[in-house]
Amino acid sequence: MQTDTREGILEGVRVLELGSGVSAPFCSKLLADYGADVVKIEPPFVGDTSRRFGPFVGDDPHPDKSIPFLYLNTNKRGISLDVGCMSGRAVFNLLLRTADVLIENYPPTQAQALAFDYQTTTEINPALVHTSITPFGHSGAYRDFEATDIVACAVSGLMYHSGDSDREPLRNALGQSFYVAGANAAAATLAALFQRLTTGQGQHVDVSVAECLTCHLVQAVPYYSYMGAIKGRRAVRGSGFEELLPARDGYVVPSVQGSQPWTVVADLIGLDALNDERFASGAGRIEHGEELKRLLSDGLAQWDRKPLFQASGERRLVFGMAQDAGDLLDCPHLRERNFFVEVEHSVAGRADYPGLGPKISGSEFEICRPAPLLGEHNREILGDELSYTQESLVGLRALAVI
Amino acid sequence: MTQRPLSQIRVLDLSRVFAMPFVGAYLADFGADVIKVDTHQVSFMDTSRASGFTGGPFPDNIPGCSYWERGGTFHTLNRGKRSITLDLRSDAAQGLIKDLVRVSDVVLENFTPRVMARFGLDYANLRSVKPDLIMISNTGYGHSGPWSHFGAMASALEPTHGTGAFMSYLMEGPDGTSMPEDVPKKMGNSYTDFLATWTALTAVMAALLRRGRSGLGMWIDLAMYQVGASFVGEGLLDYAYNGRRTRRLGNRHQSMAPHGCYPCSGNDEWVTLAIRDDMDWQAFTGVVAPECAEILDDRFDNALRRLANQDELDRIVGRWTTSRGQYQVMEELQAVGVPAGPVLNARGLLANPHFRSRGFFESVEHPEVTGLGHREYIGRGWKLSANDLRIQAPAPLLGQDNDHCLREVLGLSDRDIARLFSDGVVGSVPEGASVPPVVSLDEQVVLGFIADWDHDYGSR
Repeated sequence: MQTDTREGILEGVRVLELGSGVSAPFCSKLLADYGADVVKIEPPFVGDTSRRFGPFVGDDPHPDKSIPFLYLNTNKRGISLDVGCMSGRAVFNLLLRTADVLIENYPPTQAQALAFDYQTTTEINPALVHTSITPFGHSGAYRDFEATDIVACAVSGLMYHSGDSDREPLRNALGQSFYVAGANAAAATLAALFQRLTTGQGQHVDVSVAECLTCHLVQAVPYYSYMGAIKGRRAVRGSGFEELLPARDGYVVPSVQGSQPWTVVADLIGLDALNDERFASGAGRIEHGEELKRLLSDGLAQWDRKPLFQASGERRLVFGMAQDAGDLLDCPHLRERNFFVEVEHSVAGRADYPGLGPKISGSEFEICRPAPLLGEHNREILGDELSYTQESLVGLRALAVI
Repeated sequence: MTQRPLSQIRVLDLSRVFAMPFVGAYLADFGADVIKVDTHQVSFMDTSRASGFTGGPFPDNIPGCSYWERGGTFHTLNRGKRSITLDLRSDAAQGLIKDLVRVSDVVLENFTPRVMARFGLDYANLRSVKPDLIMISNTGYGHSGPWSHFGAMASALEPTHGTGAFMSYLMEGPDGTSMPEDVPKKMGNSYTDFLATWTALTAVMAALLRRGRSGLGMWIDLAMYQVGASFVGEGLLDYAYNGRRTRRLGNRHQSMAPHGCYPCSGNDEWVTLAIRDDMDWQAFTGVVAPECAEILDDRFDNALRRLANQDELDRIVGRWTTSRGQYQVMEELQAVGVPAGPVLNARGLLANPHFRSRGFFESVEHPEVTGLGHREYIGRGWKLSANDLRIQAPAPLLGQDNDHCLREVLGLSDRDIARLFSDGVVGSVPEGASVPPVVSLDEQVVLGFIADWDHDYGSR
């Protein structure tokens, strides 16, 4: 078999991450999960800001027990370094010289003030791929605007289309705009690295969080640019059946898309009144939407989610069901696919961690390292790899440089 | 700058609908030669060409007699590609696909596992003609596991992979304070499709890099369910460590207050804002207090009290935002360094000064036969400084590259090509086409498909 199980896909690619929160850490986590050698650089003593965000393991607000941090920083080594001071900058420049990639998510003016804007980093290492992830990008009218996830999601346009039409727009609680941006940044970074194979040169990859999300509007944007129509939020009444309806123990999506005729859906749910000609066509289901919704709710009240989902899958329907974190951890399908990987963290303890999204032939995904403790690899990287002596490291610590 | 990252790469795009075709579009934007495998048999056509619902909207809501060339979503997802029409159900077409794979680098597909195996076009077969092939197989649940034979569609998948466990409205609880509703909500229309797009794009690039170093190909089994779960991994880990199953906060935040989506002066006009810390609060009250003195009440004088008294705080903030337009709120707050942004819809985005200044929307000229003229399309969320990335060409007309692919890429003779056409293996005239029914825009508003429409959209 022509696949290599032990060598990581991005073996030999050296990534520096100067990131906090979600976007840059998720980007470099993806690269680390593909086998790149990722070094996360955190400010000394306080670390990445997400270390102070909960939820925490055992609800204990300890910097090594932040669940977002634990998830976002697997497979990385970590050093503590103040890149803003001269001595720290000297260390950083040494690291830059041998890096292939820098991922950072500082506001553009701050990156410039701290002298790790692209103009500066490319002089130190012209082959460097330098990826910046910011809410609105490194140019444009909103370049210097402040944003959190809800603001980026709003400006992107995606939020307008989320929620109910008779209520305010709604966002997801898990900072999805920054996850999407991190995923985009990983793809764009690797494209730049691939180009470097022929050109030998690095370049700047400028990722705008809001714009990454706007790309999801492949229907809403042409609805306006082709016919001046505003697609709204999901209609509350009388719509087709992509909406969640209550079953006995939770919610399901009794979707009637796909190639199976309506009778298959009606027979499965088992309520006689559903087997009605009026519901057999898409137009009919819309016209009689209110009545259909009531009947579906009656029928679904006899079902628990998981047996219904299983039965629908076996009939080649395309139902969905609302699952929560516990359902996913217990999911027999994800378990069979080895999606979860047991990880032992020296402070947080042991748990099953979600693994890689894609399943890649010939390789089982491994989490080789849990998220690093703050400065955990100072000695290994600064000492062994950069040859700083123990005395120097002690001195740098006294100066709060590391 | 005419260089592009993927100028030497050829992609065979067998995929349909949204997720993988969008990958093909971005690979084309990157300069790859992307061949979309279309079919002239309408019953088997990519629904984003064939169905007004999936691939529309049509210009001015008019499908026209060649509607398969006129859908706005179809054009967004297939720009820059070539089109060959091959009916994959025939042995001859399957043979041609293999011949094309032999001279391609990447294959994208999203057929069910049974179907590709039946066509003889699964990874095992294709790898035998191209040992270093990079192939992405995108399905709802993947090629292995107890659900691998289940069908899926993105909108039903999203709650299945758990996004809804972290998204719901708030309601008034029995004690008068806010609590989450238990109805899970979704992000837009088919969020999961795009998670698959970004994930697949990363996987293709990683595979190309690895192939450059080692000569090895790769097969990627991309289960949208599993990809979706990886994006809510933070929430899953909270269950793994703490047994917590959901985290629903409406538009609020666990530590920032005020934080949310507030009504503005116009109809269905909203603004978002987030007060991260005391510094933001000082700046915010400086702007708001002159008109809403109650914001200075000592119930709100530190972060914990603001969190505890959020219901009342949100009411006060909402009264202030209602007096203003969404852009006015954004400008006033951004001027003092406070995060705030309007909730934009497509009309707002296309007119927005930031998106314009970034050149995010790209104008593409369409062939006259489509009647589309110039239209603007979504670009991408990133810029690469050594490249001038832009959409290379409109989406292809059905079968426009049959001759190029058969003659120049595969080296077939005139006679072979003529035979393929006469046997119906290749075709350029759709068979079984029927113009999708038109629902007027006013009727679409009534049905709830759209919220509103502008007669004069072209001149805005």
